[in-house]
Order: sequence, then structure tokens, then C-alpha cells
Amino acid sequence: MDTQWETYEVFHQTKRGDPHVHVGAVHAPDPHMALQMARDQFARRMKCASIWVVRTKDVARTDYQDETFFAQILDKSYRDPKAFEAPDKGEH
Amino acid sequence: MNEKSQEVLLAEFDARVARGEKIEPGDWMPADYRKELIRMISQHAHSEIVGQLPEGQWIPFAPGFRRKLTLVAKVQDEAGHGQLLYTAAETLGKSREAMMDELLTGKAKYANVFNYPTPTWADVGIIGWLVDTSAVINQTMLAQSSYGPYARAMKRICYEEAFHIKQGYDSIVALAKGTPEQRAMVQDSINRWWYPTLMMSGPPTKLSEHTERSMKWKIKTKTNEQVRQEFINLIVPQIRALGFEVPDPDCKLNAQTGHFEYTQPDWNELKRVVNGDGPCNKERLDTRRKAHEDGMWVREALAVANKKAAA
Amino acid sequence: MLLEVPTDIPKEALQRLLVALADDELVLGHRDSEWTGHSPILEEDIAFSNIAQDEIGHALLWFTINEQLGGKSPDWMGFERNWKHFTCCHFTAFPKGDFAYTVVRQYLFDVGEQVRLKNLSTSSFPPLKEAAEKIIMEEGYHLMHSQSLVERLGDATEESHKRMQAAIDTAFPQALGMFEELTGEDELVKAGVFSGNEPLKEQWLEIVVPALTSASLELPVEKKNGKFTIDAKAEEGGRKGWQKEHLKQLVEDLQTVYKMSPGGSW
Repeated sequence: MDTQWETYEVFHQTKRGDPHVHVGAVHAPDPHMALQMARDQFARRMKCASIWVVRTKDVARTDYQDETFFAQILDKSYRDPKAFEAPDKGEH
Repeated sequence: MNEKSQEVLLAEFDARVARGEKIEPGDWMPADYRKELIRMISQHAHSEIVGQLPEGQWIPFAPGFRRKLTLVAKVQDEAGHGQLLYTAAETLGKSREAMMDELLTGKAKYANVFNYPTPTWADVGIIGWLVDTSAVINQTMLAQSSYGPYARAMKRICYEEAFHIKQGYDSIVALAKGTPEQRAMVQDSINRWWYPTLMMSGPPTKLSEHTERSMKWKIKTKTNEQVRQEFINLIVPQIRALGFEVPDPDCKLNAQTGHFEYTQPDWNELKRVVNGDGPCNKERLDTRRKAHEDGMWVREALAVANKKAAA
Repeated sequence: MLLEVPTDIPKEALQRLLVALADDELVLGHRDSEWTGHSPILEEDIAFSNIAQDEIGHALLWFTINEQLGGKSPDWMGFERNWKHFTCCHFTAFPKGDFAYTVVRQYLFDVGEQVRLKNLSTSSFPPLKEAAEKIIMEEGYHLMHSQSLVERLGDATEESHKRMQAAIDTAFPQALGMFEELTGEDELVKAGVFSGNEPLKEQWLEIVVPALTSASLELPVEKKNGKFTIDAKAEEGGRKGWQKEHLKQLVEDLQTVYKMSPGGSW
């Protein structure tokens, strides 16, 4: 019998304005306790503005094996800012 | 999705590792790689939580506020490291319950160094200084591991280990500046911990089944001997600078190689102790088992409370 | 650096208050730290170690103010002073027991801290006020944690309920000792240093009684006409330095290594 509780993935935001970053997971009996466990495990030394926890079961993931999901063969550099030459200043 | 043959998958896997790319949870991986990682990561996790005990037993006796606070923080970190590592191993498909079960039934191994007793306060400082220095040399290498979750966990761990070494060294420096009894306590501690610490890096390559495979798959990138030599070169001058000595009369700097020569630990002793015949093996496991069993009602109750609340 | 005490504040009583606060924190922190490596689950091990560190840190803070008033150093107070001169309440010194007792003790203590620190945050003695304002945040986190555990364990399973009820039966009378009258308390109240222990006890009861009752735990307390009557004998004596054997053992452990070289190089 598994008595280690289920896992919650932990996302940590250092300060307002920063993105939340995935830092690991905690075992917890519910979301409220998961937040506390995450604070003690992932924020005891570093400054932290916000923590999110999500049940591991609820995380939808792409499949590393699926080569089609991120496939891009056609050259789409037309939409990359670097693909444009900057006009000389003053030139029309 | 294309169906690929095992050969193609393995070739792609090997190429990925050779490029220095990380392997992530969900990636195809050879069964041996998965098995080796689970073994290695869980063993590392077990070592952390068993490792809480030799120093943790000194928390009630820590001399003074600063030492007491620092020691609680250090032992807390060890629980934290165990937690990070079990989580990394869980991404490979093994439950924490199953891993703990293997530890508590004696099936799984953990760092042998923690099977030695800590009869004096100086042992706490020596563990922080010597044992953690050796661990960090090993762990800095492991942070380059090909397996993503393990590499990420190791980076966090290495950062905190710097504090562990400093607090251990600081504690020994304080004792070194103290009374003759305190200095004698330190030397006695070094005498007892020297060889067990050398054994931490593992037997010379010829004797270790795991190293060759681990090196090919960038689970390890240095041999055991390399790690041990690095440790000795680093620590012996530090020990001597404080006016202490290592219990090895043949430990001398070789001017030509730049390395310290040293006497190999007794590898038969390692075998004996690893297989259960050490001074504290039983005590360590009994303690962890008791904590696990005593806490069963708590884990069960909290698991149920959640279901009740959700209903 | 010696602190100035306004003439209307009785210095001796003030130091007595500080030392009582410090002793409670040091002794309970010591008990809590005994769980490091032995907790029911890894995450709780980390959580309790955090609580223990905070408490020992708070003791250091109170002892430091005491030193600034002319008292002895924190290390002397904690690690050299005779156990008979400790003024912690007995409650903090009892052995850690099972996890139920620890959680219940932590909860009752944390609520006590909340009401006490809230009151001290209005103290007429600025160093006390500032320290209380600092500490109350950390204690707030402890309370969230212990409350979460009490709420859940109180009625989750038959076994958890049985253990928690047994823990309350033992701990509740002991906890009342947190509010034992301090010698010279009246003068401190007059000088606006704090409200005195009786009002704090009432505020504490207002919080713990409904909270524990809703966790399905029974208490020897009745509320009639807005007033609480307690059918239990408070475990007192600690504030007067009348300590029990288990504190003697605790202090011996605490001090044994330090006394190898008291005030020496550690």
C-alpha cells in the first residue's frame, strides 16, 4: 500500500514580474498542504513571491517520441525579426 | 508516429548522450540505463536520509545557539536532498513507497560511510568537512549527468552542500583553537573517519561493475580513483594546515605527479560493512524503520482526510 | 550595547518576561528538533526542522534583548545556567511523545504565541514591540502548519481521532501553564509592556476551543454567559522556577558538550 501521498509539481516565482519556473515536486495529502510543503522545500533559502502546485496527474505533456508535434519543415524565416535588413537611416 | 526498431532507437539515444543532450522523462531509453539510474539515484536518496541520523543525533547536544541552529539546518537539508532525489527517481517510474520499502527491508544500499558511529561532537564537524567534501567532488560530476531530472536535482544539492562543508570546517577550526581536549577530540575523529571517507568514492575501477556502463552513458564522467585522488589532494593540505594529521604514514606529496600518494582503504572491510556487517547498519535501519512505522497512522490519516474533504 | 529602560518600566520584571519567552522557545524548539530524521514523512521532516530553527532563533532574539538590558549572554543563559533557574512552562519541556501529542502541543503553543505576540506588538517598550512584530510573521506560518494538521488529523480515521483526543486530554491542562502569572506582572501591565496573562488566556480560549471542537475533539471547557469555565487543573510552577525531572534531563543534554569548555571555542 502506498502511503506516501500523491505528488504535486511545484512552480516557483522569485519576484513579481518573473515567470513561474518548475523546480520539482512534493508529496502532499492536498493542495493546501502541498503549498506549505513546497514553501519549506523550495523557498527556505530563496526569496519567493508566489508558488503554484499542480497535481502531477493533471499535467498534460507532449511526447518526446512524437516527432510530428513540433515539426516545422517549411522555411518560416519570413516571420523572424532577424530576417529583415534594417533600412539605412534617412534612406527612402 | 514512426515505428522504429530497437537498434535505431538505441543509436539515436547513444548519439543524443554523446552530443551532451539531456535525456528527459518520457524519452525512450534502454532498459539498462533506466535500471542503472533508478539504482543510483535511489541509493543516493537513501544515503541522504540515512545520513541524517549520525549527525542528527547530536542536535540535542549541539554546543551553543549558533551550532545548534546550523546543525538543524544542515540535517534539514539532508531530508530536502533525499526528497529531491526520490522525486527524480520517481520520474523513471518507481514509486517512493517502493524505494523506501527496499531501503527498510535491507534490499537497497546506501552510502556505506553512514554505517560508522559518531561517538563525539567532533565527528559532526568532520562529517561536514571531510565526508561532504568528498561527496561534493562526486556530486559536481553527477550534476553533468545525462538524465535531466537528476542533473537538475544535483545542481540544487551542490549549491546547499557548500554550506555543509563550510559549517563543518568552521566547527573544526573552532575546536582546533580550543583546549587540548578539544584538539584531541578532532584528531581522534579524523583517525576514525579517514578510511571510511576514502571508501566513499568507491573501489578502484577494475572492481566496480557499475562504473564502465555508467561512464558510457554519462551517468558518471570520472572514475572512482580520479574522484578519490581529487579529494585527497584537496583535503590533506587543509588537515595539515590546522595542525592535524591523517592516519596514513605513507600519505606524501609526489613532487613529480603533483598528487598525494596514499594507502588504499581495506576494500574487504567495505564489502563486509556494505553487506550489513558494520558497526551501525542495524541501528540506522532500525531507526528509519521505526520512524516509518510510527508515522504510518499519520500518513494514512492525512491521505483519508483529503478524500473526506473532497467528498 | 546597553539598552535604556524608561523609568516607569520595572527592569527586573521586564527581564523576567524576556527570559520566560526565551526559555519557552528554546525548550520547545529543542523538543521539536528531536523529530529531525524521525518524522512520519520526508516533507514533515523538513517542515518541523523549519519550525525548530525558527523557535531556537526566537529564543536567541529574546535572550539578546535580555543581554542588552544587562543580563548574561544567550549562550550562558541556554547552555550554562542551572536547570532550576529556567522559567519555561512545563508544557514545553515534556517529552515529544507521539506525533499527535507533538502536533497538538505545537498548535496550542502557536495560538498562544499569536495572541501573545499580537499583544506585545503594542508594547510600550520599543525593543520588545519590534521583536514581536518580526517574530509574529514566522509564528503565523507555524500556526498555519499546525492548524492544518490538527484540522485533518482530528477526525480523519478512528486511530487518528483516538490519538488526537488522548493528546488533547494530556496537553490541554499542560497548555494552561503558558499563562501562569509572572512575578511582577502587575507592574509590567501598569507600564503598558503587555496586557498580562489572564486576558491572553481568554483570547487563546476564544480561538482554540471552537477550532478543536470543529476537529471533533472534546475539551474540558464550557462556555456559559460568554465566559469560559475549565474543568482541568493547570500544569503550573514553571514561571516560578519549580521545574520537573524531564527538564533536568533536557537541560543536561542541551549543556553537556558546551560545558566541556564553557564560554570556550565552539
